[in-house]
Amino acid sequence: MTADRRGRAVIEFPNELEIVITRTFDAPIQLVFDAFTKPEHVRKTFAPYGETVTECSIDLRVGGNYHFVMVTDDGTEMSFRGTYLKVEPPTRTVETWIFDGWPGVEAVETLELHETGGATTLTWRMAFRDKAGRDHMKKYDGIEANLDKVEELLRSLLAGGAARGRAGR
Amino acid sequence: MPRSATTSDVFNAVADAHRREILDALITGERAVGALVDDLSMSQPQVSKHLRVLSEVGLVRCRAVGRRRLYRLEPARLRPFRKWLAKYEKAMNARLERVDDYLKELQRQAGRHDS
Repeated sequence: MTADRRGRAVIEFPNELEIVITRTFDAPIQLVFDAFTKPEHVRKTFAPYGETVTECSIDLRVGGNYHFVMVTDDGTEMSFRGTYLKVEPPTRTVETWIFDGWPGVEAVETLELHETGGATTLTWRMAFRDKAGRDHMKKYDGIEANLDKVEELLRSLLAGGAARGRAGR
Repeated sequence: MPRSATTSDVFNAVADAHRREILDALITGERAVGALVDDLSMSQPQVSKHLRVLSEVGLVRCRAVGRRRLYRLEPARLRPFRKWLAKYEKAMNARLERVDDYLKELQRQAGRHDS
């Protein structure tokens, strides 16, 4: 990885129900897909500011559930869960999205990956059931920090892979 | 926000603009974390992170009411700021008194020329 893309997500509001977050990572598509779908990776990245992760389970198949829980520094538990509707490695997953802190809010989340010249662009679309649901989405610092952690993880995975490659020779 | 930015003194704690925003939001009284999140431009995890730093240096106090955690300012912990500023106020006042004396002297001189 060369470029430092920290804090470089593009956040768009194509209509009153959706939010689309785009960010490019200097890593191959399969690695980026793994970063978003393997529990051992997600555990390291989804808590934006180093919160304690108490649950991180992913059953990556259509109809399978995921559940992520972190405890923020004041002791608040934040729990995210949903069910996979589509699983198409390494390009796409579609899943329902529920955050326990916002009762009655539901969204369908689509993670789409596209690789060009060794860099992979993530398009992360959240489609809320109603406008009231999307109106809850006001703060993006956590999402940026979250994606920064993904970049950091990919960097370390690529560095580790290179080190192993050298050791193998 | 790197976790390594540990803060042990109140000056460090208020060096961050976000933490000053939180303190300002608490001026009017005790608030729950959720209420702070609603009013400020930060996510819940970030507000929590800053509240933790502010609690560690004692600038805010927390109490639990049922499942809610309420935060309030601890005004006594502002004393180091007052002490620090007092030195400057003293020096500034001394300087202003000298200006005052000088102006009086100028007026006396002007009075002599007029006569």
